[in-house]
Amino acid sequence: MRVIRYLTAGFQHAFGLHRPGRKLPVLPDDILLASYPNSGNTWMRFLIANLLHPDQSVDSNKLPKLIVDPDVTVKRDIDRVPRPRIVKTHSSFDPRYRRVIYLVRDPRDVAISRYRSLGRSGRIPADLPLETFLEPFLNSELDRYTGSWGENVGSWLAARSGYTGFLLIRYEDMVADTPRELVRIAKFVGWPNTPARISQAVERSFAHKSARPESAQPSGWRSELTVSQVARIEAAWGDIMTCLGYELVSHPSQSPHEPSLISSLASGACHSGLLPRHGWQSGN
Amino acid sequence: MFKRLINTTKRALGKTSAGRYFEVFDDDTFIVSFPKSGNTWTRFLIANLLHPEEPANFGNIDRLVPESEEMTMSQLSGLLRPRIMKSHGYFDARFRKVVYIVRDPRDVVVSQFYFFRKRRRITDDYSIEQFVTRFVAGETCDYGSWGSNVASWLVPRQNSSNFLLLRYEDMMKRTNEELGRVASFLEVHQTPELIAQAVERSSADRMRKLEGTNATASVTKDARQDIPFVRTAGSGGWKSSLPEKSILELETAWAPLMTWLGYELAVLAQPLKTPAMYQLHEQSSPPGVTVR
Repeated sequence: MRVIRYLTAGFQHAFGLHRPGRKLPVLPDDILLASYPNSGNTWMRFLIANLLHPDQSVDSNKLPKLIVDPDVTVKRDIDRVPRPRIVKTHSSFDPRYRRVIYLVRDPRDVAISRYRSLGRSGRIPADLPLETFLEPFLNSELDRYTGSWGENVGSWLAARSGYTGFLLIRYEDMVADTPRELVRIAKFVGWPNTPARISQAVERSFAHKSARPESAQPSGWRSELTVSQVARIEAAWGDIMTCLGYELVSHPSQSPHEPSLISSLASGACHSGLLPRHGWQSGN
Repeated sequence: MFKRLINTTKRALGKTSAGRYFEVFDDDTFIVSFPKSGNTWTRFLIANLLHPEEPANFGNIDRLVPESEEMTMSQLSGLLRPRIMKSHGYFDARFRKVVYIVRDPRDVVVSQFYFFRKRRRITDDYSIEQFVTRFVAGETCDYGSWGSNVASWLVPRQNSSNFLLLRYEDMMKRTNEELGRVASFLEVHQTPELIAQAVERSSADRMRKLEGTNATASVTKDARQDIPFVRTAGSGGWKSSLPEKSILELETAWAPLMTWLGYELAVLAQPLKTPAMYQLHEQSSPPGVTVR
């Protein structure tokens, strides 16, 4: 059995049909699209692919040939992607990448979205209660390399916030004003960003905003999570959420006089003009 | 082509060094730090505590508390579990239980500077100013910059019960107490006598002597013998070895993190409101480290 597996892997390697996954060698000019899962990464990739390839009709089969997904794109296709390559990842902080677009989404919405998508794909039992799901979700037991939402977001923000090669995008801002955020991304990398190109890309990517439209709406959590579920998420990641402008609805006890480590490290992200100082007002 | 064939064969036989790609188990414990932050000393302390019957030296340390990144796949899979291993890696979500050692970056850079001379990675005419600039940019090793390595661990894990933060400076000042904290964290049997014995067997003097007699450990082999691996083993040496320009460079890069860790800024003006978040574990000790 083991021998057959080795042989198969050997042949795949020989013909470039294997997926490099985490072993993808990094090139100095790579552009990384990083996010925790279920944070709008697919939508963002469609936006970028449509922006860069207005002559092609981008679909889910073509997407991995334009933007490298090391878990999906086979080696042979990766070698054909022109440089600078755009690489997608859900991995936590990786210092090898010099240019990183990091996409973040309110973890209260991510929890629901992830719960549904894992249920659909059969990775968790379909009848698993959301309440039970929160345990592994909060304790980073879902994906070994991704970490929990707080670990993924926290590691990137802590290590890279304030660097010129790091662009932070909030999913909620993408929903609120997609062209504006796409222009920010395009300017960050130096891609074309004429109004016509931008609006065409936004239009063509609209269908891929989310697999399920109802979960794509910001602050769906308000109606879907119980008060205690919200409190559990906020207790785990409140400092990072506050830093990102996701207003906490529980935990009034947290003293505002003691800045958290993340807020002193990522003050660039938390207090720059890019993110509204008082947070993104959910629900209105 | 030939090289590729050799590499493939090596990989198939598990003879390539693992880097970040080895299998991690949930019951593993990692001793993590940026390089030159007291990791080897901590490994000696832990090894001497765990194995009173076999005092640690530079010949057996790679077996007692192995280096995860340097070992080959087959060596790694041969280890008995639960494993206690060393790593210099930046944040890795798979590491469930972590002892993280942090040291004043101004001392770290001086230490790495001499270590690189020892390993012939820089020549003697390479200046410390040049080195500090590369250090701040994170270009001196593959583990991220000092700041990104430390911050990538602290922010995700600082409140976790499976994360123990040690400051090298505290370990210097009260080694027995800090080793006691490590022992409780690792759930290792400890008595004051066993702790004292482990501390004694891991002293800088003793480690220097051991280095002279047997330097086959991966940290000491293939290196210049005129520069010791266990050099000053102190804190605050940067005050005399670093030019002001370099201190400013380091402090500008990492002021919030250094302040949070209690490393007082020397050149850069202190922020008005110091978020001295680092809680010492003893009420009696003053917060912050006093380096002299």
